[in-house]
Amino acid sequence: MAFWTLRGLLRGVVTTRYPAAGPRDQWATALPTPPRFVEGHVGPDVASRVVAVCPSRALWLDGDALVLDLGACTACGACRRAAPHAVRESGVSELAALRRADLVKRIPLRASAR
Amino acid sequence: MSGRSSDSTARPSGIGRVATPQPKAADAEIREVATSLAESVRSFRRSLHIRTVDTGSCAVCESEIRLLAAPHYDLHRLGFFFTPAPRHADLLLVTGPVARGMEVALRKTYDAMPDPKAVVAVGACPLGGVFAPDDWVHGNLDAVIPVDVFVPGCPPSPLALLHGLLLAVGRLGAKVTEDPFTATATPRPAADAPPPTKAVEVSQPAVAAEAASRSETT
Repeated sequence: MAFWTLRGLLRGVVTTRYPAAGPRDQWATALPTPPRFVEGHVGPDVASRVVAVCPSRALWLDGDALVLDLGACTACGACRRAAPHAVRESGVSELAALRRADLVKRIPLRASAR
Repeated sequence: MSGRSSDSTARPSGIGRVATPQPKAADAEIREVATSLAESVRSFRRSLHIRTVDTGSCAVCESEIRLLAAPHYDLHRLGFFFTPAPRHADLLLVTGPVARGMEVALRKTYDAMPDPKAVVAVGACPLGGVFAPDDWVHGNLDAVIPVDVFVPGCPPSPLALLHGLLLAVGRLGAKVTEDPFTATATPRPAADAPPPTKAVEVSQPAVAAEAASRSETT
């Protein structure tokens, strides 16, 4: 028992701290995460498409910006499937915030449609 | 102390009560919120007791919270413990869309907790992301009790919950505040390009070694 504990401490498996670089194991990083939007690829057409497919209504249009509410996003991936060139997996699972407004992100729209 | 703010731009769908997104993050305000929270939880030191209240959730958030005690996550090593008594609790984990039938229980739990106390809203439901306020649910925890830390996700993974707990006690910072959730465009590889065989050859032994070392350690 002591051997395995010491070995785990040496290898950084046993720790009394949160992993400094964030979760690295596959069972933690392979989880679905909210979308990340590629700059310059989100035009009005893409925006209206992802707003239409979002089942949890975490996306909506506000003037010249697409608004993403991470608090409502369920990381289902519907927007990624609807616009694969403009939407990626963000890989961010540590989303806790001190203010609700910090979870609402504005993605500026590209002016011309593609 | 919480992230409560007035809402002027409600979502068109009318779900929840979502604050207006700020075009530029008010750094001073964030620092103020973080400082006041750190001040109030300083007396927790390295031991903190958690009480959970389910206000009508689908129990997936509960299953993730229960996993926190599993060896993979092991929240006890970080000084967190679950307690069944609100009078012994320092931190309240609330799941579910805050059903009106649970409002009395929730308020009693919150009032029974000794000061200083912190409230963590777990999952999309208490963040106002799923249910609109109606005769059955409040749809937003902030409408009932002040919330200190918001942990989104449906459900949030146990590591996300751990991050939220450590954020609540001021041991970690909020990573999502500065992240704009946009990415710079990179040239995509052509569809008929040959697969990167070299990278695969390099990564395969690494994966095998990783798996071998993992089975050794466990």
